[in-house]
Amino acid sequence: MLNYVIRRILATIPVMAVVALFVFSLLYIAPGDPAAVIAGDQATPADVERIRASLGLDRPFLIRFGEWVWQILHADLGTSIFTNLPVAAMIAQRIEPTLSLMAVTLVFAVSIAVPIGVVAAWRADTIIDRAIMAFAVLGFSVPVFVIGYLLAYVFALQLDWLPVQGYTPLSEGLEPWIENLILPALALGCVYIALIARTTRAAMLEVLQQDYIRTARAKGIGQPGILFVHALKNAAVPIVTVIGIGIALLIGGAVVTETVFAIPGVGRLTVDAILRRDYPVIQGVVLLFSFIYVVVNLLIDLLYTVLDPRIRY
Amino acid sequence: MTPPPVITAAAPDSFTTAMAPDLIASAPDLPDLFRPVRLRRGLWGFARRHPAIAIGGALVLAMLLIALFAPWLGTVDPTALAPARRTREPSAAYWFGSDMLGRDIYSRVLYGTRVSLAVGFSVAILASLAGLTIGLVSGFIRRADGLIMRVMDGLMSIPPILLAVALMALTRGSVGNVITAITIAEIPRVSRLVRSVVLSLREQPYVDAAVAAGTRTPMIILRHILPNTLAPMTVQATYVCASAMIVEAILSFIGAGTPPTIPSWGNIMAEGRALWQVKPYIVFFPAAFLSVTVLAVNLLGDGLRDALDPRMAKRL
Repeated sequence: MLNYVIRRILATIPVMAVVALFVFSLLYIAPGDPAAVIAGDQATPADVERIRASLGLDRPFLIRFGEWVWQILHADLGTSIFTNLPVAAMIAQRIEPTLSLMAVTLVFAVSIAVPIGVVAAWRADTIIDRAIMAFAVLGFSVPVFVIGYLLAYVFALQLDWLPVQGYTPLSEGLEPWIENLILPALALGCVYIALIARTTRAAMLEVLQQDYIRTARAKGIGQPGILFVHALKNAAVPIVTVIGIGIALLIGGAVVTETVFAIPGVGRLTVDAILRRDYPVIQGVVLLFSFIYVVVNLLIDLLYTVLDPRIRY
Repeated sequence: MTPPPVITAAAPDSFTTAMAPDLIASAPDLPDLFRPVRLRRGLWGFARRHPAIAIGGALVLAMLLIALFAPWLGTVDPTALAPARRTREPSAAYWFGSDMLGRDIYSRVLYGTRVSLAVGFSVAILASLAGLTIGLVSGFIRRADGLIMRVMDGLMSIPPILLAVALMALTRGSVGNVITAITIAEIPRVSRLVRSVVLSLREQPYVDAAVAAGTRTPMIILRHILPNTLAPMTVQATYVCASAMIVEAILSFIGAGTPPTIPSWGNIMAEGRALWQVKPYIVFFPAAFLSVTVLAVNLLGDGLRDALDPRMAKRL
């Protein structure tokens, strides 16, 4: 077991190395002169040279890459071209709203998606099942910002139940914090709910046909007990896997959701960086979120042995 | 075919009727197990058997026609400015209203169909071709497999939208660059799928037989492997197309996509962003078109999946 944990942790190193190499070499393999693109159309040749030097484009690729990796290992993500502040500090300043949004979305999406997926499998091929699956197709099809505007229009502008936009830090109290996050989390969660509900249904359908479910029913265990204890436990591995993979959707969607609801998080930082073509910031954000994604999926891999003791490495 | 005699319970039988007339009378009519086969032919029959393909396909076709015939559908120049008539509500003159520069939103939305479909279809085709090549190489050349799959793992751990954002930040905005960026983000998923299909096909007896008969590897790929990857690839391509259209709209919406001079649904929504609380229709119309188009492509994909792989149909 310990052997497996160590091997699995070591296996993430090449993955992160590919991510780092890719994000870094983009500067070199992008068509045209990235320094000129970043400097913009009104830049003087001197500006372009300054940006070229600050990106290290005037030095050999391998030396520059080595230095850069060394910096990252010391938690130094470089310096913003636009503000001259360290990227790590800029991200740290903005991380709270983004993590809050993602955490709230995760909790509420899982607590909706898993039960409706279970019910869809239980009532397979009935009108309830059809309705839930139709909702799942809709969830995949309606983009996150469309849902965001729709929710904000109905629940904030028309009904006036919740704030339209903005963010209140957690330090100012739980209620205003959660109030501001309900609509964004609902919008961001739709795709995620659709994904998890679909997978839950498929995994449950498979498990419900097993002999031990029949045995459980014969023993006289009630329907909820069979569904949520016996079956769900055995369907847990694919469900947890898709929850981990879906984090990528949350990360990408957070950028857009923060724009729609004017949440001052890392997503807004990214959008501002795109407009100013502040590549070091974008690079830092991509690296950080890829790292979070890899770590989350590593933890889920390790969780398998807990969820299903039959899995042995 | 004549139905077997045991099926119908309502048949009068003097012996049993005499024994227990009430029982027979209350016995339910059993369903006829061998219903006469009604052959459904033609377009209508196809639509009845595959409603998802029919509805999705019809909607995609409608969008294609809108894209092709945009200039003749009562549109005006989608980039023509009219500052004096800005932010008009939807009316007879401006069917979907006008934006803050006085441009006709109806015309812009119709022309925007072109960008979305071009990006969706191009990415689907390019990512499928690239994924097919990489998946085949990876599935057949064992030495390359490890390296290729590590690279794909790495690319897959960058959330697709962030990957596309990073690529777009370094290039000048153009539809071609948007297509390239989204294609690169989609390739890993397609190659993974092809590789897994190839690996399972390699174990099939008919491939062993072909190898034993002395068939060369290129011929095996062409004859036995490639045709069998087509069905899952087609289904995957529709999902790639749907996701590419969403990503294009998102990129344009956050200012990293199609240049603002080209009307695309994401751009129209980006321009309507500042005003959406007072003029929600600017955002509403492109959003509705985008959602319906993506829904249509997804329906088409689900329908194709069910039709091409009945085993999957039961599970998802």
